[in-house]
Amino acid sequence: MSSRELVERGTRQQAQLADVLERVLDKGIVIAGDIQINLLDIELLTIKLRLLVASADKAREMGIDWWTGDAFYSSARRDNSLDSRLRRLEEKAGIPVSPEGERE
Amino acid sequence: MIDAAPGTGWYVYGFAADADSLEHAAADAGPIRLVRHDGLVAIVGEVPLDEFGEHELADHLNDPAWLEEKARRHENVLQAFAARTAVVPLRFGSIHGELDEVRRLLESRQSQLHGTIDRVRGRVEIGVKAWVDTARLADTLRGEEGASSSGTGREYLQRRRQEQRRLDEVRERCAELAAEAHGRLLSVAVEGVQNRPHPPELTGRPEMMLLNGAYLVPAADTALEAEVGRLAAEHGPFGVTYELTGPWPPHNFVDDRDGAA
Repeated sequence: MSSRELVERGTRQQAQLADVLERVLDKGIVIAGDIQINLLDIELLTIKLRLLVASADKAREMGIDWWTGDAFYSSARRDNSLDSRLRRLEEKAGIPVSPEGERE
Repeated sequence: MIDAAPGTGWYVYGFAADADSLEHAAADAGPIRLVRHDGLVAIVGEVPLDEFGEHELADHLNDPAWLEEKARRHENVLQAFAARTAVVPLRFGSIHGELDEVRRLLESRQSQLHGTIDRVRGRVEIGVKAWVDTARLADTLRGEEGASSSGTGREYLQRRRQEQRRLDEVRERCAELAAEAHGRLLSVAVEGVQNRPHPPELTGRPEMMLLNGAYLVPAADTALEAEVGRLAAEHGPFGVTYELTGPWPPHNFVDDRDGAA
């Protein structure tokens, strides 16, 4: 199997929703000016938060709750929330960490 | 001047370089209208304002089923055109009342759009995600340290400190692995960006997302995938796996760097 086949294989199945939303809602050109309707950043944030909450609940329904139960992470959570832990990791990796995040 | 029918607006999916076969792309993508100007086209669809009006949109955005359907529609339209020409994606939800407004938009941004099109033409965006099984990484690091800890369980506090130190090491190694991966992928790509990794609550996966990168590469060039293959082989022992997505239209590479609007 060549590497290109690996990529093409990915296109045959439907792309994951999070990957689509990240691109469609958060990237691409934003038109300012003579436009009637545009999305406000605050709305985008709302979408993201709701998605996050919905997914966490869904994950728990499926029994995926390792981030609350796993000892490895529980010990980390005593003084660090998962979020701050990720943030520090992101800072080290040089990933922008503003709340809206991903624009360079 | 072509107004949308009462109660409808013109939704702009993106811009593209004009080409012969675009009517086919428009047909493939459903009811699409092309607005042309100076070698550029705007990819436009008529949408009902009871869904896409300013207030209605805000409500619908919080409806996951609606949002998924429309977001995928946006992506699918762009992909139908990206298969035939260079595409400049717009962000979701750009809606105009008249086609003339869309034409004016093309006119006012034409030099910038030509610049962006020249930059992305013949290239695709490939997503690369790296995942780490942190428990496996911790095991590997412990192995590198050599066998540790006295059997007696001498001091609880000491073990706690060791555990904390190992956690720090795991974090550091994760950051190093992500930085190495992104750097190496950049070296075989035209451009690349590192986006914020999706949190576990969103992915629902037990592994942690280490890298959420997007890379602009020539459409026929597989150097990036080859490098991902090498990274996967080298980082596998550390519990890291790689995932490729795409090819995507160049969503991550069409911001305002080609000149302000």
